[in-house]
Amino acid sequence: MKRALTIAMLVLLAMPLLYAMSQLPPHGSATSPAYTHISPRYLERGPEEAGAENVVTDVILNYRGFDTNGEVTVIFTSLAAVLAVLLAGRKGDERPVREPAAEPSPPSVVVRFVVRLLGPFVTMFAVYVIINGHVSPGGGFQGGTVFGALVILITVVLGRSVAEKLQPLGVRRILQAAAPLTFVAVGVLGLALFGDYLAFPRDEALAWVRTSWLMVIEIGIGVGGAAIISAIFWQMGGDR
Amino acid sequence: MSAFEALTNALAAVLCVVGAFFFFVGTVGILRLPDFYSRTHAATKCDTVGAGSVLLGLAVLEGFTPAALKLIALAALVLVSSPTAGHALARAVYRGGMAPWTRPGHRSGGEPK
Repeated sequence: MKRALTIAMLVLLAMPLLYAMSQLPPHGSATSPAYTHISPRYLERGPEEAGAENVVTDVILNYRGFDTNGEVTVIFTSLAAVLAVLLAGRKGDERPVREPAAEPSPPSVVVRFVVRLLGPFVTMFAVYVIINGHVSPGGGFQGGTVFGALVILITVVLGRSVAEKLQPLGVRRILQAAAPLTFVAVGVLGLALFGDYLAFPRDEALAWVRTSWLMVIEIGIGVGGAAIISAIFWQMGGDR
Repeated sequence: MSAFEALTNALAAVLCVVGAFFFFVGTVGILRLPDFYSRTHAATKCDTVGAGSVLLGLAVLEGFTPAALKLIALAALVLVSSPTAGHALARAVYRGGMAPWTRPGHRSGGEPK
């Protein structure tokens, strides 16, 4: 019954998608809108119109913000799915912190020192990539990944209890949902002030609003991405 | 081209060639050396001396610019991180109980553990 329902839902979902696909211009067609006027418009007007010097950021966060909003929700859903699978049949919220009782091999002094030494620089680079994403290649996804990698490194070398201090238990769920939450917050702000979900101000005088909203979304994506990467790593028992 | 420019260009070229040489030696080492420890040793040469020299050479070529500073920061990063990675690898394998290779019939040095 459950399976039949699943199949029915998938078929129902597939039909409109397949119909929409059949209406797309043929692949590689020179008359497809992407080649005739959309890409040139992005390249020519992007920086002044959408709020970021980097056209890629303009496209993913402003022109196609709705799509990216769905994307960050998918990333958050993937964490929920990992937790659902790994916690199935287990009691409690998440696995408790377990420091190995007998160290099979004490952590190397050299590695510990180097991780402590490089940690602040890695953090600075992650913040730079997030903040600078509106001028140069980078942004929330990339910077968040850099910081998530640092959390994994700290977990492996200095132990999970040290790494977990970066994400206090009380706010961890909120940090993990930071990307969709900030996206929705900015979207609703646009709805309230300018009448459309994810609407950015068009006025020339309000360019700083566009840029700062993009920045807020970038930071949200970065924080959420880092929290999700480390949560999945911890949940898979990466600390052992 | 001024004399200073010629000098820095020559220095940059020498550094880059030295770097390429160490990359070559490291690659040969990874392919030819007999066991894990000596191959790890060869591999870290690529990053430290090889990439270090090439990056320094590029920084010399760049002159006194922010880009040169970034290149030097990169060189410092590989100089710190690559030996650490090599150390961690070799240490983990040694503690795992793998005996280093010795020449057949030339038993010297202690067995691990």
